[in-house]
Amino acid sequence: MHIEIDEIAKSFGATTALHPVSLAIPSGALVALLGPSGSGKTTLLRILGGLEFPSSGRVLYDGQDATGMSVQERRAGFVFQSYALFRHMTVFENIAYGLRARPRRSRPPEAEIERRVTKLLELIQLPQIAKRFPSQLSGGQRQRVALARALAIEPRMLLLDEPFGALDARVRKELRHGLREIHDTTGLTTIFVTHDQDEAMELADLVVVMSMGKIEQVGRPQDIRARPATPFVREFIEA
Amino acid sequence: MALAMLRAQKSPMPGFGLGMGITLTMLSLIVILPVAALLAKGISYGPEGVWNTVNTPRVWAALYLSFRLAFLAALFNLVFGTLLAWVLARYDFPGRRIVDAVVDLPFALPTAVAGIALTALYAPNGAFGSIAKSMGQKIAYTEWGILIALIFVGLPFVTRTVQPVIAEIESEVEEASATLGAGRFYTMHRVILPMLLPAALTGFALSLARAVGEYGSVIFIAGNLPMKTEIAPLLIVIKLEEFDYGGAAAIGIAMLLISFSMLLVINLIQIWSRRRIGHV
Amino acid sequence: MFDSTLNEPFLAPTERATHKWRPVTEESPLVRALLIAVALGGLAFLVLAPLAVVFAEAFAKGALEAVKSLAKPEALSAIKLTLLVAAIAVPVNAIFGIAAAWVITKFDFRGKAFLITLIDLPFSVSPVVAGLALVLLFGSNSLLGGWLVASGFPIIFALPGIVLASVFVTFPFVARELIPVMIEQGRSEEEAALTLGASGWRVFLTVTLPNIKWALLYGVLLCNARAMGEFGAVAVVSGKIRGQTATMPITIEMLYNEYLSVAAFSMAGVLAALALLTLLLKTVLEWRHADQLAATRRH
Repeated sequence: MHIEIDEIAKSFGATTALHPVSLAIPSGALVALLGPSGSGKTTLLRILGGLEFPSSGRVLYDGQDATGMSVQERRAGFVFQSYALFRHMTVFENIAYGLRARPRRSRPPEAEIERRVTKLLELIQLPQIAKRFPSQLSGGQRQRVALARALAIEPRMLLLDEPFGALDARVRKELRHGLREIHDTTGLTTIFVTHDQDEAMELADLVVVMSMGKIEQVGRPQDIRARPATPFVREFIEA
Repeated sequence: MALAMLRAQKSPMPGFGLGMGITLTMLSLIVILPVAALLAKGISYGPEGVWNTVNTPRVWAALYLSFRLAFLAALFNLVFGTLLAWVLARYDFPGRRIVDAVVDLPFALPTAVAGIALTALYAPNGAFGSIAKSMGQKIAYTEWGILIALIFVGLPFVTRTVQPVIAEIESEVEEASATLGAGRFYTMHRVILPMLLPAALTGFALSLARAVGEYGSVIFIAGNLPMKTEIAPLLIVIKLEEFDYGGAAAIGIAMLLISFSMLLVINLIQIWSRRRIGHV
Repeated sequence: MFDSTLNEPFLAPTERATHKWRPVTEESPLVRALLIAVALGGLAFLVLAPLAVVFAEAFAKGALEAVKSLAKPEALSAIKLTLLVAAIAVPVNAIFGIAAAWVITKFDFRGKAFLITLIDLPFSVSPVVAGLALVLLFGSNSLLGGWLVASGFPIIFALPGIVLASVFVTFPFVARELIPVMIEQGRSEEEAALTLGASGWRVFLTVTLPNIKWALLYGVLLCNARAMGEFGAVAVVSGKIRGQTATMPITIEMLYNEYLSVAAFSMAGVLAALALLTLLLKTVLEWRHADQLAATRRH
């Protein structure tokens, strides 16, 4: 799905999190929102997912205004930094949650739910853990379960907030490839937030560098590396 | 309990001997010895004697009444207490801090005071009782009166155990539920309430234990008719006034067993939820 | 799903949409108002109404009658006795609570969980059963009690019994408040003080006590309110001797049963005022020292 951010601004009381920013994300792209903490990247992601309402501006999905659309209507697969898995549910129940939450007429039958969950567990390469609880999983496993849970609702886009932030270096590298593969398999427009320039440069088709609530530069990783647009970008990329 | 068992692992911290000395002396004098005396009285009375005392229609009626009404009161408090905890933890409204303090009033108000106040309120000539009377109902001196008193004394337990758990729920969990397509009601029902359940059940058990043994707030409003509105603790008092120490001990032991099993249930709930969810 | 805004020029979100949108972690205003109404209504009905009745009945014949009833010798002796009992029971429990919390939080030993269970036991024992247990141990027809009575030191139907009963029912209060706070604060500060050469008492007085003082005060307040108001356990052990072993709650019962409504409710009003004062102090403590007390609310 093609996403357009049109002059989106957001302030929380007196503090401005986003100055009006505009950005077009082509369908099927893997995009990194890159910046230090406080740069407004997570706020932008949450606005895309419908978790925050912009102070002004519009969000367009495939050219249509989606600004006032509810979170539920958006069908954006969202992976939280803490993963936000449901602690009292097994991995299976976590992944099946979105399907079971549908209104009765669009809810798939239980056998179909089971088939889909099994397929998703294979996709994240953890077919054995369906009956475990989140507290019994490693950090990397939790992240992949959160991803599978987001994919289960057949999302129109995938939004990830620091998906590798809570993992140690080795697992992080491994899961980067996992995300790339899942993106390539599903073809979903995927946007992830990160403060790690290596991660953004290695993984993304398009990198959006942000600072202080503004977009500093948008471009392919090699272009940003070759021609940083501002002193901030140069410094941040080199750090 | 052997003192050797309580020896601390080697530690540079001072004061273990003194602290443990005070703790065990007080514990023995105040709690363990009296409870042991109660059990010893039961033993000297013989299991048969205990059983014969308990196994009379009047005692069964009292135990059944105490337990049944305590259960109903705790059930009411489970629902209302959880609702109250949610409102206090999540909503901001004028006077929230005062309301939060008022929840603890049943803890702070002496039971005898609560007892005569509730009786004055629900007696046929009282403010609420007269309304009930005009509708042909009686509250004080019936089971309804006992139920209201038991609800009163157990009210804060569920709220106080559930409120901190609500405060600790990460908003991301609720947001995750919404991004997966769930409406607010579904999120409440399937995500939030199950997360509150272990704490709510702990509060329920505490409220139940308190209500089963409650005396002061109930005897004024109960009417105390044998076989009808006579609670188990009152039977103990009656036996004592008749100098029937064995009989009193028998009923006391029966109630103690109920208390112990409820303590056990509370601990099992906590172990169960710790296993499943990782913490209480 | 997509309406006419599609063809409008780029603008701020429509008024309707802004108005409709709310964070997903919130209920609709209607549900919210309904829940608040149920909560406040329930509390007013269940808790505030009985409280209001106490004062209404006390002042039913005017404030003068209420004060007069409290000035009677019987009432004064009950007030004196209750204050005396609290003055003994509360410090005893404070010392026990500090000692128990100290060994439980500063040391590792086997049987700790069992010790905590024993300390909590009085919470789940009926006050009447507690009183009964004390009567069976110290009463004149028991071995120990018979000897004590013969030696001129009776416990049951006398002040010591009332104190013991009050200590029993309030036993876990101080320890319960201190343990979570002391667990949260760990042992490192005390250990640091010890390496600097401070003695054990000095460490306790200069490091531990300042860290736990608000939680201690909080526990003492709760303990005091409960000790002054205890009825069931005291009713069993005191013998209810007018002017001698009748505490305030026991006197309330006697007056009430004699249909002396104003006198009963006046004394009840004094205890209710004490409860309100306790809650006020507790609220102020929670508000001013929220960080330290945060741990106690999680148990």
